[in-house]
Amino acid sequence: MTIDLEQLDADYLAQVRYALAFISEDVVSYDIDAAAKKITIELGPGADEAEVRTRVGEILSRYDQSQFGMKTVVDFEQKRDLPALDAWAGMLERRWATPVGDGHVVLRGPAALLMALVDHKVDSIFAEEFGAELEYFPSTIKSETLHRCNHFTSFPEHMDFVAHLKQDLGVLKHFSDSCRDKGWSPELHDGTMSRSDFAISPSCCYHAYEAMEGWELEKPGRCLTATLHCHRYEGANHKYMSRLRAFTMREVVWVGHPAYIISGRARAEQLIIQWAKDWELSCRFETANDMFFTDDYAVKASFQRQQQGKKELRLDVPSEGRSISCFSSNFHSTTFGKAFGISVAGRPATSGCIAWGYERWVYALLSQFGFRPEEWPAGLRDDYERFVRDRRTTLPARAATPE
Amino acid sequence: MEIAQAQAVETLRNFIRQRYNVPLDDADFSDDVHLFDYGYIDSFGAVDLIAFVESAFDIKISQSDLVAYPLNTIREIADFALQRRKANGI
Ligand SMILES: [Zn+2]
Repeated sequence: MTIDLEQLDADYLAQVRYALAFISEDVVSYDIDAAAKKITIELGPGADEAEVRTRVGEILSRYDQSQFGMKTVVDFEQKRDLPALDAWAGMLERRWATPVGDGHVVLRGPAALLMALVDHKVDSIFAEEFGAELEYFPSTIKSETLHRCNHFTSFPEHMDFVAHLKQDLGVLKHFSDSCRDKGWSPELHDGTMSRSDFAISPSCCYHAYEAMEGWELEKPGRCLTATLHCHRYEGANHKYMSRLRAFTMREVVWVGHPAYIISGRARAEQLIIQWAKDWELSCRFETANDMFFTDDYAVKASFQRQQQGKKELRLDVPSEGRSISCFSSNFHSTTFGKAFGISVAGRPATSGCIAWGYERWVYALLSQFGFRPEEWPAGLRDDYERFVRDRRTTLPARAATPE
Repeated sequence: MEIAQAQAVETLRNFIRQRYNVPLDDADFSDDVHLFDYGYIDSFGAVDLIAFVESAFDIKISQSDLVAYPLNTIREIADFALQRRKANGI
């Protein structure tokens, strides 16, 4: 089936493309053809075409921004003319990456070292600058906590929930025996799972707020940092390295008086722009909004952009002809302070965070500059070589080469 | 009828204090505090605030106004409302 498109704005199409992955399990595949102004959808057998058509209509009007002011401020832009290089194919060929399931990837060799280098830069520049206290978080989080963070009312589509087999001897025995006799299959989970009470955390900083529940902070507040392996289920949107289901997020988080959060964020934005200059990244740092997956998308997104509640550093991926968000700076106002009763000098605390998606950094860097460190921009190359030398690591590229 | 700036500011200040439960001894609260950054009003509150400004000052505020004008403090909102009234010949 095909559906006509009326708007062709690039942001709009990107949001529609993302959202279409979640409209119905009857959809086998879909394609947006901006030139022909149409969406083509392939449906599975027995699909209800009228229902799918209605839902596509809902998505198209949800992301229609013509009624809303979507303010964009570009704080920094650095464009480089770079060849289109398929970094994913190159990583596979060199065994710097191996996919291990939809949206799951193992990194090794220079790809792993680049990721460690980005982490090291975050530590030495940002955590240092803000005196951020180190925290370690569990990968899973109570669903109740996510609910209190309003996560489910904004992003229900990407949740990966956790469940275990029922505490029932019959269930456990049947599962184990079936695996032994016939091998594991997904059907073995039908009706045998407990209710889900935890989820894999879709974001890094929620644990920080729930762990500070009821705290009365002194002015100006506190700064912390953590790294978390997060999950976001993105349906057909999973794309190796640019949209993983399992990915690594690093954050620096401020909780306290508004002036403290605002000045920290402003300083962090200067630092990230300096980093982009040092590594000669082809990029843009600009106002953004979250992909709220709800009918009030336009209201929420418009307000967030108006208040510059979210800014992103978008690194270009020349081979895909687009950019990906690799760093974001976020302001939450008193949302979490109120949700968890955290106060500063008697008022609800405000919070903000800056976040890095590490796998995306690796992918964007290799996409922009290729696989030979000696050809990388001087700033990146020097940082990389010094980092590798300091780690006293033999170049793992050798270990990754097949015998 | 012309509304004085001080009166417009007071109308807004009283509404915000009451509607968003701002304590009387709140040291940060002022006519120039950023109402959203400082967490006095969130995105849901913003919808209410716009509705109040529209009815109290008998004006319309469009989405493009929100993009074009800084409407983050009591004083900014009062100035905007008074200008809009003047432009409308009220
Ligand atoms: Zn965060």
